[in-house]
Amino acid sequence: MKISVEDVNYIAKLAKLSITSEQAQKMVKEFESILSHFESIDKFDLSDVPLDLYSEDMKTVLRKDETSVFPDKKKLFQNVKSMNDTYIKVPKIIE
Amino acid sequence: MNIEKMTARSIRRGIMEKQFTAKEVITSFFEKIHEKDPAINGFLTLCREEALVQAEHIDEKVKNGEQIGSLGGVPIAIKDNMCTDGIKTTCASKILYDFIPPYDATVIKKLKDADAVIIGKTNMDEFAMGSSTENSAFKKTKNPWDLERVPGGSSGGSAAVVSAGMAPVALGSDTGGSIRQPAAFCGVVGLKPTYGLVSRFGLIAFGSSLDQIGPLSRNVKDSALVLEAIQGEDKLDSTSVKHSITKDYISSIEKGVKGMRIGVPVEFFQSGLDDEIAASIKESIEKLKALGAVLEDISLPITTEGLSAYYIISSAEASSNLARFDGIRYGYRTEQFENLDELMEKSRSEGFGEEVKRRIMLGTFALSSGYYDAYYNRAQKLRKKIKEQFTKVFESYDLILSPTSPVLPFKIGEKSSNPIEMYLADIYTININLAGIPALSMPCGISQAGLPIGLQIIGPHYGEDKIFKAAYALEQELKLAAFHPML
Repeated sequence: MKISVEDVNYIAKLAKLSITSEQAQKMVKEFESILSHFESIDKFDLSDVPLDLYSEDMKTVLRKDETSVFPDKKKLFQNVKSMNDTYIKVPKIIE
Repeated sequence: MNIEKMTARSIRRGIMEKQFTAKEVITSFFEKIHEKDPAINGFLTLCREEALVQAEHIDEKVKNGEQIGSLGGVPIAIKDNMCTDGIKTTCASKILYDFIPPYDATVIKKLKDADAVIIGKTNMDEFAMGSSTENSAFKKTKNPWDLERVPGGSSGGSAAVVSAGMAPVALGSDTGGSIRQPAAFCGVVGLKPTYGLVSRFGLIAFGSSLDQIGPLSRNVKDSALVLEAIQGEDKLDSTSVKHSITKDYISSIEKGVKGMRIGVPVEFFQSGLDDEIAASIKESIEKLKALGAVLEDISLPITTEGLSAYYIISSAEASSNLARFDGIRYGYRTEQFENLDELMEKSRSEGFGEEVKRRIMLGTFALSSGYYDAYYNRAQKLRKKIKEQFTKVFESYDLILSPTSPVLPFKIGEKSSNPIEMYLADIYTININLAGIPALSMPCGISQAGLPIGLQIIGPHYGEDKIFKAAYALEQELKLAAFHPML
């Protein structure tokens, strides 16, 4: 399958990654090589395989939505880079 | 006494019988780490102080005549993608270079309940993406059997420290072979349990439908011992096992393989497999036959194609799981930014390594509009076929036996420039994750150049007891357990 630099740049935008034009060029080649390997799946006729991946005897696991207080609130925020009072600081979102 | 040569089971026994104290055990292992790890680079973080406090606590219990847990005083190394309360957990990524979890993963909690002593966090491929541990953002781990070679990956640090005698047991995680392949490369025992047998709560997710935590050890009984301690239902992981499971593997582990039916897939012995590995596996097949097992050729027609399905599904899940790393609440944050989008984009681009970005991109592509049916849906359909293929085999066989890796440990740098070649190293292990079944890798021989060879035993869902029985029988016959390069 043919991939263009524009395709790679579009995917990077969706993935919130910025890439240089050299990186994009390199990725085009890697993508084409990996995607051509993926074509090996095409030799199987999968048209009759239903998409529900799991068997009928499996069911969704539900639990009660119960709240509990985390014992050490300070610990929860120990990794935040910048805070103001009890809020996490980020750049201005609304102009 | 050489405590670091001892198995986990004998360490616990020695502490209970007051031959030595837990503190002596921990001190002895840290001496070994200081001696060996500068050459191996297996650890990212050491927790000496915490480990000594825990050891004193266990010694106190023994002194007071109290019972100690099933892993009482046993040092254990943890792959750096499992959250440890108050101890840095980086996933070997710059994006989590300073992350200190505020809670323990369920497996860590269970280890602590069993009185195990966590001695450090081990190196890995960044976010567990890789087969050589070369993708770590921090250091390159060396194979203890040959320092110019890779230890395998992604749990390369865990495998190397167990192999070099720096820890009797370790935890790894396996998404496509990340416990079994490094176990094979380092000559240790590595188990990927059935999907759902061990809670994934607190394991930093890569491919959530494939990831599973399991033990690395120097013998089969220690593998069973650690699995007994970490397995079971967890209300914090909705995919964890709901029905009753085998709680004690060790009491029946010596029952042997007489009458056991073991299938050997012909597709796993075709082109691409190293001759020495093939010869060594065949020797083990003869040994198992002599022990009374029935070994027959079987066919698993979908083998290499599973690799494609695996890379589509795992990358798709990774692209979604890794969306949470944005530089806002924790982890690396870029220094210069104008707005929120730029903050996230720059933090991610500077924080993630090359392979991680490649997989995020691949996954985003496979899930994007226009390609979703052609790639992701087709991969899921093939996955279903692969699962059915195994189910059918297990209707007539107890186990499946194969090589773990098609190649011997390769040189550092040898495959790092070619992603496809690196992906092919996982050819015998990935289908097991797609099917959700358990498999164990154990050493079965040594190549002419002195490198370990790994054999894989695959079982049906929740068939760990059968796997352990066969592995233990073969281990006794091969007498390889005591053979380690640095012990």
